[in-house]
Amino acid sequence: MRAGAAVAVPWAGSLPGTRREAVGIVDAACVRLWLTEVAARLEAERDFLTQLDAAIGDADHGVNMHRGFTAVMARIGAAEEASAGQLLKIAGRTFVSTVGGAAGPLYGTAFLQAGETLGDADRFGPRLLLDALRASLEGVQRIGAASPGDKTMVDALTPALSAYELELRMGGSLETAVSGAREAAAEGMRDTIPLQARKGRASYLGPRSVGHQDPGATSTALMFAALAHAVLADRSQRFAGGARRPVSGP
Amino acid sequence: MIQSVGRAARILKALGSESARLGVTELAERLGLAKATVYGLLRTLEAHQLVEQDLETGKYRLGPALLQLGNAFLDNNELRARSLLWAETLAGRAQEAVHVGVLYGANVLLVHHVFRPDNSLQILQVGASIPWHACALGKATVAYLEPEAQADLLAAPLPRLTGRTLTSREVLEAELEAVVEAGVAVEDQEAIVGEAGIAAALFDNRGAVVGAIGLAGPVERLLPDGPAAETVSAVKEAARGLSRELGAGRPAVPRAGA
Repeated sequence: MRAGAAVAVPWAGSLPGTRREAVGIVDAACVRLWLTEVAARLEAERDFLTQLDAAIGDADHGVNMHRGFTAVMARIGAAEEASAGQLLKIAGRTFVSTVGGAAGPLYGTAFLQAGETLGDADRFGPRLLLDALRASLEGVQRIGAASPGDKTMVDALTPALSAYELELRMGGSLETAVSGAREAAAEGMRDTIPLQARKGRASYLGPRSVGHQDPGATSTALMFAALAHAVLADRSQRFAGGARRPVSGP
Repeated sequence: MIQSVGRAARILKALGSESARLGVTELAERLGLAKATVYGLLRTLEAHQLVEQDLETGKYRLGPALLQLGNAFLDNNELRARSLLWAETLAGRAQEAVHVGVLYGANVLLVHHVFRPDNSLQILQVGASIPWHACALGKATVAYLEPEAQADLLAAPLPRLTGRTLTSREVLEAELEAVVEAGVAVEDQEAIVGEAGIAAALFDNRGAVVGAIGLAGPVERLLPDGPAAETVSAVKEAARGLSRELGAGRPAVPRAGA
């Protein structure tokens, strides 16, 4: 990585330590919090994502992601009784139908696959979330045929999943697992900078794609940052006994 | 081969392969040459404005003369020069972006790009290089190559770019036959997820294929339910008109509003 080419992003830092006494359970409220957090961050980072995409893509990633998540928020707002899995399926279908470019089908499939995996579970633990994330990665790779190192969203998604899984295997909690995933995704995102793109429009540029951070890996890292934020905020609100409200801002 | 010219070319390629600048030491390391040699070459290239030095960092980057050379390359490309009017007409008629490409090795080089006429932010793709088997322009061109050239391309590696890229030789052979049958090539997210293309081949006065012209855009617009008949005929008409202008068959000029 060369100095000057590196792109610092506000969500790549680390969060304060997790609460050991927290119970690793995810439910519809937590998923709703996550999606709300993603929407808020995409709003804040829309121009940054577009700027990254203008360098090696077609300058529509920020706009597409923002438009998609605005539509997602409208639809999940109307689905008050939806389970976690249903919320993700709504997000996936909304993405496929409202977002153009590669982001629509890729993220749409990722959310749909995750939603399918969760099924009708009201509350679930970190294991099922891992299965859901795995299904997302499989869906993305089936459509995009990208492998790690191709300079795509897979470069953030794959290390995030590995870190999450490793954390669980070492006896970690949901909280430490999502924190690990967040950091690994951010690292994977930064590691796309020196890569030459082998998939997507950026690959048309050949060696000229080197030196730029991949916009897809960046939006994926954003989603993992939002996930960690949502899980931890959900925990602290639960323990504080207060009403759970969406957390906005990066 | 003249060694110093070869070295100068390698310096230009090294500077062109990165978005950042390189110093004399970095270049010398990469090319395995003495620093003094690299410095001398850089000074000569700089005198011709082929490279320039950043005053603050002392590092080198490509120079403005290369832009002129690149433009001259495109301007000398007869296909590009002649396609301007037809491409514009096609973009207006289909309300989609138009690409014109020629085959270089196993890739299609985009020599002309007309933006989708909707005032949206778009990035110029001229100079992009796309594997032939993954795009409509490439399939349209290769379908009309001599059998030998076609067989060579089919025998070469056919990398997968998306889950929909055709990578089997047999499937592509059938696809190329279908292209000749239909007079048009269709690509459904085979190069980029979410993107589609419809293209037709261009011929010169000897009847040899010289490239292709086509539409490129979001799959939901270009292939709502497969390619729309009207869109296909617009692409074919543009290709036919442009081919006539290149000398294939009788000469013709595009009609206004055609």
